[in-house]
Amino acid sequence: MTPQRRWFLVGVGVLLLIAIPVAVRSLPATESDVTAADLLAKVQASGSVRYSGYAEAVGGLQLPVTDRFSDLATLLGERTRLRVWWRSPESWRVDAIGLTGETDLIRDLGGLATWEYEAARVTFTADAPVRLPRTADLVPAVLGRQLLGEAESDEVARLPAERVAGRDVPGLRLTPRDPQTTIDHVDAWVDPQTGLVLRVEVYGAGTSPVMSTSFRSLSTEAPALSEGTFTPPPGAEVRVEEAVDIAAAADQFAPVRPPGTLVGLDRRPSEGVGAVGDYGRGVTRLVAIPLWDDAADPLRDQLETTPGARVGRRGTVVTVGPLGLMLTPNRFETPNWLLAGTVSRQTLARAAAELEGAARVLQ
Amino acid sequence: MIVVELVKMLRRPRTWVTIGMLNALPTLVAVLLALTDLGPRPGTGPAFLSAVLTDGTLFPLAALAIVLPFLLPIAVAVFSGDAIAGEAAAGTLRYMVIRPVGRTTLLVAKLVSVIAFVLLAVLVVAATAYVMGTLLLGDQTGATTSVSGTSLSATQISGRTALSIGYVVLSMLGVAAIALFLSTVTDSSLGAALGALGVLVASSLLFTLDAAAALQPYLPTRYWLSFVDLFRDPILWRDVVRGVVLQGVYVAVFLGASWANFTTKDITS
Repeated sequence: MTPQRRWFLVGVGVLLLIAIPVAVRSLPATESDVTAADLLAKVQASGSVRYSGYAEAVGGLQLPVTDRFSDLATLLGERTRLRVWWRSPESWRVDAIGLTGETDLIRDLGGLATWEYEAARVTFTADAPVRLPRTADLVPAVLGRQLLGEAESDEVARLPAERVAGRDVPGLRLTPRDPQTTIDHVDAWVDPQTGLVLRVEVYGAGTSPVMSTSFRSLSTEAPALSEGTFTPPPGAEVRVEEAVDIAAAADQFAPVRPPGTLVGLDRRPSEGVGAVGDYGRGVTRLVAIPLWDDAADPLRDQLETTPGARVGRRGTVVTVGPLGLMLTPNRFETPNWLLAGTVSRQTLARAAAELEGAARVLQ
Repeated sequence: MIVVELVKMLRRPRTWVTIGMLNALPTLVAVLLALTDLGPRPGTGPAFLSAVLTDGTLFPLAALAIVLPFLLPIAVAVFSGDAIAGEAAAGTLRYMVIRPVGRTTLLVAKLVSVIAFVLLAVLVVAATAYVMGTLLLGDQTGATTSVSGTSLSATQISGRTALSIGYVVLSMLGVAAIALFLSTVTDSSLGAALGALGVLVASSLLFTLDAAAALQPYLPTRYWLSFVDLFRDPILWRDVVRGVVLQGVYVAVFLGASWANFTTKDITS
């Protein structure tokens, strides 16, 4: 065999190895004739669908927050790999996969268990209705239902189908009509059979998504998830905590009550105790969390040193993409309010002003 | 020819010195862990290093995670880079190819020798770590905890450890194939080893860059640590399978290039 022929053979082999996967991937997805309104209705009715799969989420928001909110910063600013087994909103398991370990959330009859492999620790808590975002919220089907669950049919339009997790699925674009929101649009690709959202991309003002999450593999068979409560492995440290995070603790124990309406946004019904106010609809959301001084002071220091932060009479404001954060000043006998949401700086400042007069301190 | 190369590899002092040096770091780590009882903070150390404080039988996995990012690839690159270039530099290559043995056969013999070295090195690291782990860190009675918090029986742990060893060996074969190809290109074994290490350093750097996200699934180091996924419950096969396929592609491409280059090369030394 001549040298040319040998190198030709190697070249053809390399070319085939590169070309075959590219060709398979570039095959167009089969288009669907389902309407946007029907697809939206499918998503909104998908709450009882069981599934399991693997998903990856990428956040592009670098939150300037302190250690007590570090999980939130990781969630919104980094790549998260997730394994999910979903039986119902009361029975599921979501594993956040790390290179050298994993942190798992197991929701079952006993409440919420958090397993941290590298710390060999299990933490049991009641699953609070009011809490900070967590890894399970990044599951495409969960995030998709949260964002599209309250959308109306005149806010959505069809997008071309794409192949997600090996399925050809039609797309849906939500363009919110609420003038206060900083979310420009949300693109979602939905399995038309089950209504499960398989991929979500959230856009602020730019052309790249500020948050995206997508299934890479999915099964709609009943998930293999053991019944009953999570059993701590031998040798693991076991903790029982009253609140799942700082927002849940504030909701239960802070002696304040926020108003029923804030900057024209209605307060959402909640099963929580009520110190945290959750306002808005769909992708227009604003939360008001009362913070104790020991949590608020370091956060205020952190926010004030963030590039672009504005410190005013009403508090310190920082915007990160479409997300706005505002912390009110430390004043005697009034709570520190952390306001966060997909609203503008001006809306946050107005909300802080309204809270000052309208929030009720319990004696 | 294959037997000759295998015997030569086993009789060389450098083989055993290299394997000894590979074992030194995990052994030192085991001694330090036993003396201080201090594991790494979550998310900061090599895989399984925090778990070995309570279960020394997992130390072979921690030892593999310790040597896998740097020491083992360096050893494999040096050994493979020397396979052909070392003979050329010593002036023995021309005598080898005038024997009634084809160049393809010689290349296969060198390849088998490299594979045998990788397998031997990984097995010795795992075996030494098992002995050190159980002696210094203790042997947990009963089931071992999986990464997902469930219990794995001794049989399951043994099976998954064997799979991990196989996976690590395969991961190193990609490095070996790159170094072997460079070894057929140059007469300098150091140049071949450094070339292969340069590829690995570039791969490790690109793996940390978000801007290189589109390239990351094809980087040779991308799935090296995915053997950890074998200890999740249930096993997360996704990256393990991708790692096997990717290393297979690297091995096929670079061995093909080695064959095309070496069988037509002018041997001058």
